[in-house]
Amino acid sequence: MDPLYIITNYGPRFLDGLLMTLQLTGLGALMAGLLSPFLALARTSAPVAAQWPLRLYISFIRGTPLLVQLFLVYYGSGQFRPLLQDWGLWNFFRDPFNCALFTFVVNSTAYQTEILRGGLMGVDNREIEAARAVGMSRFRILQRVSFPHAYRIAWPALGNEVILLMKASALASVVTVFDLMGRTRQVFSRTFDFSSYLWAALIYLFITVVFVFLWRQAELYMTRHIRAGNTVTQGKQHHG
Amino acid sequence: MVDNDTVLKAEAIYKSFGALEVLKGVDITARKQDVISILGASGSGKSTLLRCLNFLEPPTSGKVYLHGKEISMGKGGKPDQKQIEHLRSHLGMVFQQFNLWSHRTVLENVMEGPVIVKGESKAVARQRAEVLLDRVGLAERKSMYPSQLSGGQQQRVAIARALAMEPDAILFDEPTSALDPELVAEVLKTMKSLAEEGRTMIVVTHEMSFARDVSTHVIFMHEGKILEQGTPAEMFSNPRTEPFQRFIADVS
Repeated sequence: MDPLYIITNYGPRFLDGLLMTLQLTGLGALMAGLLSPFLALARTSAPVAAQWPLRLYISFIRGTPLLVQLFLVYYGSGQFRPLLQDWGLWNFFRDPFNCALFTFVVNSTAYQTEILRGGLMGVDNREIEAARAVGMSRFRILQRVSFPHAYRIAWPALGNEVILLMKASALASVVTVFDLMGRTRQVFSRTFDFSSYLWAALIYLFITVVFVFLWRQAELYMTRHIRAGNTVTQGKQHHG
Repeated sequence: MVDNDTVLKAEAIYKSFGALEVLKGVDITARKQDVISILGASGSGKSTLLRCLNFLEPPTSGKVYLHGKEISMGKGGKPDQKQIEHLRSHLGMVFQQFNLWSHRTVLENVMEGPVIVKGESKAVARQRAEVLLDRVGLAERKSMYPSQLSGGQQQRVAIARALAMEPDAILFDEPTSALDPELVAEVLKTMKSLAEEGRTMIVVTHEMSFARDVSTHVIFMHEGKILEQGTPAEMFSNPRTEPFQRFIADVS
């Protein structure tokens, strides 16, 4: 085992894999983040009868392993190649990176939708009523009151979901994507040096630490109105 | 018949929640500079009536007019959303629990309606908000968040927020009921000053002193109907119905 040898000789490969992992996770989380508010809104406001496809989708995603979902997309797209060609989608699905990205978006959207739904349900109805009373349209109420509160409430859980997705993205290496895990396996198969995986673990850990720090800064910004109230009561003793 | 002074008028308002009929045909007219106090025991329907006036609770049936113009019902008897938003933007509302937007500063709370609903520029809205906050005695607190204020201060911000829309009338839903006793006076004082400058106000309240000394008109509600109404002088010196007599005896 020679960690120094590994990183000096294969550093660029790890970097390459790191960028791919960031791309896969970042794009996946972001695209899911763009879809989830609409679905969360449907989950809280649409008629119950209209919700069953959505609930079915969320149950399926939450009830099956991500690896199975990835295989369904990766091998399934091969299976249905003629159909996908007819629809002009084959060029997209022939690339394993796109298969993985697609799977992650579909997967994370389901989780983010449920998290955001919880946030929306936690919004104080009195503030929504005040917005209605001043004459705001439904869209404005969502934009100015409901979603700002919902995202604040859901923020820690959303951060957790992104971290889980980032680590789960290592599965993409199974379908030949050269993300950090894919590159690490490549390095290991050439050197049989166990420290390759040690480096991979450290890099994943590093990403998570940086992400948690940034996410926390955003959370502090979003909760400034709550913390402001706390400083007023600071110094007062709590009784009972 | 509607004269030019009539700001808000509601006719034959009925409201049911499921099988429970809360309002059983209520008429109310607010003319310019009227200060109407609505009294009644809890469950008499007074808050529901107030909330029907700006459609926070859409009436089961009945008509509401703003300056003689009816809020018309669309297809299926449901009122048109745009018309309701228009009505609301002309009626301020002050809530029992203040209902300030907790994620916005005091100043932002007061600017929000004019900027978002009326499309005013931020500079204009800010200027007016500062004047209004000064008026309710909270100019120095404009950068604070609602959680940093006492209940009485929050309610005064809520009043400034209602005023910022330059409303034709302001609805107050038990504005002092959630306040500690020592904070009631500051809110009542602010409301009194609004009455004195000729604001049109409809106030659901338990504050007898306000009803007696400030309002121009008193309505007593009982079991979903208006049982008695008149000037405070005639109402309080000569309560005609038994429930109102009992109500006065209970609260005084």
